[in-house]
Parts: sequence; structure tokens; C-alpha cells
Amino acid sequence: MVSAAARSTSAATLVFVASVLLIATAAPAWCVVIALVAATWRILVALGKVAPVKRFAGMRFMLGAITAALVIAVALSFRTLNGLAAGTALLLVMGALKLLESRSRRDDGIVIGVSLFMLLAGALATQSLIRVPLYLLTVWGACAAIAVVADRSGALTPKAALRLSARALAMSVPLAAACFLFFPRVAGQFWALQRDDEASSGLSDEMTPGGIGRIAIDYVPAFRVRFEGEPPPQRDLYWRGPVLNNFDGLTWRRNRATYHPGARLEMLGAPIRYRITLEPSQKRWLFALDSVDTVSRRDVFISFQDRQLSVLEPITSTVSYDAVSYLNTRSQGPLANAARRLETALPLDRNPRARALALDLRARTGSDAEFARAALGWFRDNGLEYTLEPGVTTIDSVDTTLFDSKRGFCGHFASAYATMMRAAGVPARIVTGYLGGEWNPVGGYLLVRQSDAHAWTEIWLEGTGWTRIDPTAVVAPERLQLGIFDLLSESFAGASSFRRSQWLSHLDHLWDNANQWWQERVLDFNLRSQLDLLRKLGFDSPSWQQLGWAFTAGLVAWIAWVSLALRRGVARKKPDRIGRAWLRATRKLARVAPARAPTEGPMEYARRVGAHRPDLAARIDALASLYARLRFGRDASHQDVANFEREVRNLSF
Amino acid sequence: MPAAARKGSGVLKENLRRRMGAWARRRQGDDRLPIIISTRRVYILPTRAGLAFAALVFMMLIAGLNYTNSVALMITFLLAGFGMIAAHLTHRNLTGVAMRAVAGVDAFVGEHGRLLVTLENSADTARLDIECDVTGGVRAAVDVPAGGTARADVGLSLERRGRIAVDRVTLSTSFPFGLFRAWTYVHIKAGLLAWPVPRGRREAPPEASSGGNAPAVHRVGDEEWAGLREFRSGDSPRQVAWGAYARGRGLLVKTYQSPAAHHRLFDLAAVPGADLEQRLEQLSAWIVAAHARGERYGLRLAEHALLPDSGNEHRARCLNGLALFGTGEAW
Repeated sequence: MVSAAARSTSAATLVFVASVLLIATAAPAWCVVIALVAATWRILVALGKVAPVKRFAGMRFMLGAITAALVIAVALSFRTLNGLAAGTALLLVMGALKLLESRSRRDDGIVIGVSLFMLLAGALATQSLIRVPLYLLTVWGACAAIAVVADRSGALTPKAALRLSARALAMSVPLAAACFLFFPRVAGQFWALQRDDEASSGLSDEMTPGGIGRIAIDYVPAFRVRFEGEPPPQRDLYWRGPVLNNFDGLTWRRNRATYHPGARLEMLGAPIRYRITLEPSQKRWLFALDSVDTVSRRDVFISFQDRQLSVLEPITSTVSYDAVSYLNTRSQGPLANAARRLETALPLDRNPRARALALDLRARTGSDAEFARAALGWFRDNGLEYTLEPGVTTIDSVDTTLFDSKRGFCGHFASAYATMMRAAGVPARIVTGYLGGEWNPVGGYLLVRQSDAHAWTEIWLEGTGWTRIDPTAVVAPERLQLGIFDLLSESFAGASSFRRSQWLSHLDHLWDNANQWWQERVLDFNLRSQLDLLRKLGFDSPSWQQLGWAFTAGLVAWIAWVSLALRRGVARKKPDRIGRAWLRATRKLARVAPARAPTEGPMEYARRVGAHRPDLAARIDALASLYARLRFGRDASHQDVANFEREVRNLSF
Repeated sequence: MPAAARKGSGVLKENLRRRMGAWARRRQGDDRLPIIISTRRVYILPTRAGLAFAALVFMMLIAGLNYTNSVALMITFLLAGFGMIAAHLTHRNLTGVAMRAVAGVDAFVGEHGRLLVTLENSADTARLDIECDVTGGVRAAVDVPAGGTARADVGLSLERRGRIAVDRVTLSTSFPFGLFRAWTYVHIKAGLLAWPVPRGRREAPPEASSGGNAPAVHRVGDEEWAGLREFRSGDSPRQVAWGAYARGRGLLVKTYQSPAAHHRLFDLAAVPGADLEQRLEQLSAWIVAAHARGERYGLRLAEHALLPDSGNEHRARCLNGLALFGTGEAW
């Protein structure tokens, strides 16, 4: 038999362990290990398997020293104590220390509090749908642990505590829902924890050929797109990301220093309207369908010279924005000289063979456009192979791709093509982003994964301006129709079999749709959504205050419901027909005679009334006898009960 | 917290508690048992743990709003609702309980007196961990099963001879989550007596006999019929004259008297000494000793006298006399 105190400590520590496991991925391993070791030790001590540490002089000092050491260790490993990850790690080691010195039930309560804080840190770190059940289970456990800690007698079994807290939580679900819908969401931040530059997958603002190949095996979603109307064909789905124009022979980089205004763009064709829900990328740019015209975010800056979308703060949480794009554009002015210089710069001592080839091709063609076509033809006809494993690259990376290995990925071909263009004096740049996406028929949206990452080239042609040329399209035309997984299935032995299965693919769609719903309806729910909801509920011009009123009304209704629901369990049993009639009779009698004491039986009372009012004695006695017979006798027929009720009704003085 | 501040807050708390008690007393008036604890008389406030929980939820709310984090907000709202449900559950645990009876169990000074509080639960759910307390008492917790009764045994430390009056019984509970404490006051007249401690080395007065100087020998079962008297509560059923009852003469008790009527007479005036308390303690010691030996003894305290008798009831009557002597209260 476990003592009440041991049970309390074990319950609190188990909740702590659950919370630690929830944030284990967001904290350094050594912190997690310290926390788990401390928790294990604490439970063993509580169960009496290990002797507790005896108090000794200077123990307080030693604990203080350990605390200081751990805080410094955290500070050193993160180089800051500010920030979610550092805060989480700090919470972990502090919780572990609290476990080491916890003795009383109050300490157990503090451990539960720390666990709930860690749960909060976990929710702040990731809100993905798959983790929500884990969060809820931990909340449930924490509530049960609160009951166990509060129970001093030890009479409450863990099962009873779990049942109690499950019931309490279930009853609070309506309130939580109402709060979620109507509790006014204050716009803006009160303070900002420094977000950590977590190593995230996805595109960066530099590209080394082959770098895209690394993220191409990353199956996680990058963003989802919901189109207004019909989606454009797959081959036009070029999702524009960072534009790179500075090449050192190996790596393309985004040129941040120089700014040159671009000419105005004329948008051609029908506008395409869509809404993108972007997963947190920790980067300062957004993606949009090429070429983007307007974006619904106020903090977005559309750069004129390369149509890249920048935001002021890195994207740390999932964001949604509406955008309008056109598939065709025309530049209304010439390229500025400064820009032309920048977009044709090449390191002179690199890739000599590619440069020679470019100059040769240019000499044999009449215009830049013809030259571009000829170069594409060369890419098509020279046995280049599209592969994820292009082999080692040398310092002359373009030459290796074109002449030696003849193998490459989109990044290699884009880099090689842009180099050739620049070598012949045609302004060229690399655009990175995504190509295509997977249509989710369940949810009716397009899912773009990291594996759809792509790189292509843009060259400046007089008359039309920047024109997209995708050399990968001539090397591997199928890429425009299929995803990487279908195209290069031999590279993903495991993934390909997964992707082939029909019903698994359907499950995949369902799950992604659930995620999308979660994202759009729950995670993106904000003040604007709240006001929209009020409008749907019939408020013409909803405001913050009305939201408050709606919230208050919901709260009052919930409290009323809870009071009623909980009262049912403890209500005294209502008397039956016989009992009710007898109560009526005694109330009538109380007007002319002493009232019946709560414990007084019918005959006893009748005798007392009779002594008080001898004139009524006979009637009262008959009534009480009838009641006693009905109540305690073998069987009372309906007729008898009705007679008794009539007697009571006729009772008057 | 510095010691002075802690003391200050303690005084403040005590003061508030007293005012609250006085207010409730004015509001509720006197009660008569049995009493059913209605919602009108149940008070509820968060405990320290409850306040900490509220602070935690508030911080979670701020964090959730700050980061517009829907999951954090959901957890926060769920916990907030949980807290309110906890208040309801605690309140519900107390309302509807009935206090049936309160009985004091007398004891000697220095021992623990007991106050037995009988609680009844007519509901379908058990009332767990209901604490019963009186001013200066040792809190007792009981579980009252569904549709049953339970008796809380509140200890009272007895420091002075006399009547320990209880004018208020507090029922409280913080079940199930300890985040809230609900309590109620029941204002009733109850109490118990603190008997003087049996203490003293003096020789007891010798046995006397109403028949003269007979030897001081007590002979059991050598008693003579002495008549019938009215039944008094506490009399054994074996003493009841059932034959007389059958003849419709009501409940009567047969009494006997020892022919020799050997007894001791304890007289306060005969106990020397200046300190009244010491003299009463001496009497108490004699009574306890005589009772243990099964002797008959009488007691005289100034103008009051208890005729020689024996048995538990007589012992209690004598000790009650000692407890109340000089307090101005009748016994």
C-alpha cells in the first residue's frame, strides 16, 4: 500500500515526466536527461526504494550552487537566457531541482505548476494537430494529480482522481469553446520573446548546386494554396522565392547591398487569386505564384527589381495571406545599366569551357532570344541526366555538370544555364522556389512540399523583360508534370512504395486536409475571425465590446448549466405522491396546531396535535393512520392513494 | 517573508476571520438541530493553491494572447473552466449535508474532550473529506457515505476546569481539488465539562456505615429490595421492572440497597488546604479510586450533596459537580 504522501509525490512527478517528454524535442538533451533522472530518483524515494538525502548543514548553499551552475550552463549553451528554447531549458532544470528538494505537498503542487508551464512552452513551440491529444492527456493527468495532492487522507484512488478530473474537464469543454470563440483576442503582442533561429528545412537565400537536392528529400509541407476558381495547369505553378544574382563560381547568393529600381511591369492575361498558408520557415520571405501583383499583408515589401516578397520579421508561426498573380508579364522599360552590370557579372577565372561554349553559341546566333533557345537545345541534346545524385562537384562546378559528369539536379542546370547566359553578356539570374504541388482532392487545395523545391533561370530579353527559362524542363520534361518522388523514385526506395499505395495516399490526403482545417479554422482564429463570426450570428457591425458581451452571456449560461448539472447529483430525493400529500397535510395543520418536527412520525404527531386541539383529534388520527397504512403497509392501490389525496384536499379548519 | 510581516498577515487574517464569523452569526441567527446545510449558508473562497492556480492560468492566458497561440489559449480556457468546476464541486460537496446531533464527551483537564458531530447525507453521492471544527478544537475529517451517516470526532484540549461551551460548529471542505474551500457555520449550544484532574495524596476518609461501626467490608449481591422509582435515561434495561410495565404502570426501575450501606462520604469542607482547585483535584482522585474499587460513595460540596451511590452515572454526576463547583452554573 502506497502512502498518501508517496502517492501525491508520484502523481506530481509523473505529470512532470509527461511534460518533459512533450518538450523533449525542443530542449537540449542534457536538460531532458537531468530532468528525467531527477524525476526517477524522486519517485524511487517516494516509494521508499531509495533512501532520501539527509538534511545537512550547507545543503541550502549546495542547492543554490547547483542552481547557479545549471543556469550558467543553460546560458552558455544558448548564449542567452531570453528566447523560447532557452526558457524551456531553464524550466526543465529548475523543475528538476525542485524535485530534488521537494518534501511537502506544497512542493508537489509547485511541480505540477512547473509541468503546466512546460506544457505551455510545448504549445508555444509547436501547435501541430498530432500533438494536441498529447497536450490534452497531460492536462488531464495534471488535473488528476491536483486532486491526488489535495487528498490528505489517501482515500482517493488514482482511478477515482482520473475520473473526477475527466468529468470536470469534460464539463469545462463548453466554456473553453465559448472562450475560444468569444474571448476578445487582443491584437498585437505585449512583448516578444526572441525567437530562435532554429535550423529549419526549406530554401535559404543562397544556393549551391546540389543544395536543393538535399531539401528535395524532405517530405514536409512548405505551404498550402487554395485557389479562387480553377487552379492553373501544373506546368505553370512556379512558386517564386528568393532571387539570387551574385555568383562566385560555386554558390549563388542574394545581393543585398545594391538596390536598383526595376522598370514597371505590365501584367498580362487573367488574374489568378489564391490564398497561401505558409508553414513557419524562420525566413523573411514569402512565396507567391509567378508573377505576383498584390499581397494582402501590410508588412510585405515586393521588391521591384526581382519581384521577391520580403517581410520585416521572420515567419515563426503559420501565416496566411491572399495574393493576386499573373502568368505573363512585360517590362515597360529597359534594364538599368547598374542592374545589367550586376546581372552579367561572372568570376573570370572559373568555368572556362562553359564560357567558351556560350561565346561560341552566341556568335552563331543573331539575337539574345535565339541564343537562349540554342543554349536550351544544347542542354537537351547533350545527354544530360536529371538525378538527385550528381556526384562530386569541382571548383569549376558548371564545367563539371555540362562536360564531365553530365549529371545534375535543377540547381545544377539553372546555375549552368545562367552562367552561359552571363558569359555571353545576357543578364541572367537564378530564382529559387517550388514547382507544382500535390492536389488534395479531399480539401480542394494544393499542397506544396519541401520536396517540390526547384530552381530556374530568368534572363533579360529586350522587349519582354525578365523571362523565365527552366533548363530542367528540357533535360527532364516530365518534371513539369510529376513531383520529384514520381520522377526519381529509385532514390527513395522507402518513399516510393509509400507513394504508390492508393489507399495510403487517400489517408494521406485526409490527414493533410485535417491539418489544413486545423490550421485555417483553429490556429488562424483571431479577432477578425471572431468579428466575422458575430456578423454571421446577426450583429450588423460587430465590435470588440459586443464580443465581450457575447463572451459574458456565454459564461453566465455555462455557469447556470454547471450549477444545474451538478445539483442533480446531490438533490434530496423528491417525495412521492403519498409523501407529498402528507407534507401538504402537515403544512395545513401547522396553521392551527404546532408544526411537525422533522423527525416526528405520523402517529406521534397526530397525538400531539390531538392534545393541542381535542376537537380535531379524531380526524387527524384517522388521516395519520391512513398515511401510515399507505406508507408502511404491504400494498397501496392507486385508489387508496387518490382517496388519501382527496382527504388531504378536503382538510380545512 | 520576514517574520514580522508574516505575523502581521496572520493577525489580519485572524481579524478577518473573526469579523466574518460575527457577520455570519448576525446573518444566520441561532440554529436548532437537525439542520440541513443550504446553499444560503455555504461560503466559499479560493485556497492558497487556488490563487496560485488562478495566477498560473492568467499567465498562460497572457502568453497565449501575446503569441496568438490557439493551442495555448485552448489549454488555458480548459484549465480556467476546470477551476470554476472545481469551485462548484467543492461547494456541492458541502451543501445538503445535514447535521443531526452534537454531543460532548466530558473528560479530565489535560485530556482531550470530544465533541461528536453526527452528519447525514441524503444524496446519491458520497461527501468526502468533510472537516468539522470548533473554536479551539482539533479538526476532524469524515467521509459521509451516500444515504448514510458519519460521526466526526472533534478533539478539544481541556485546559481549565469547568464547562467548555461550544456555540459554533464549522463544517468545511476543500474536496476534491483543494483549490477552493467551502465552509459553513452552525450556531448551536453545545459543550462538555472538564473535570478536575484526579490528583492528591491524601488518605480517603474511612468507610462509614449507616448502621453504626460495622466493619468496612463491601459485600456484593447482598442487597435488599428498596422499591421502584421512575426510569431515568441511562438506567440499564436489566433494572427495568418489565412486569410493572406490562401491567401498564409505565417504565419503572427496581432499586436495591445494601443492608450494611457501607459507603464513604467525600466532603469538600473536610479536605484541608488553601487552594480550591487542589482540594477539588483531591476529591476527584478519591472518586476515581472509589469508583474503580466499586465502592459506594457520596459527595458534599458546600450546600450541595449527592447521596451515596455507585456506578458510572453516579461517578459522572459527582465529577460534573466538581467541574461546575463555584462557576455559578447549576448542576
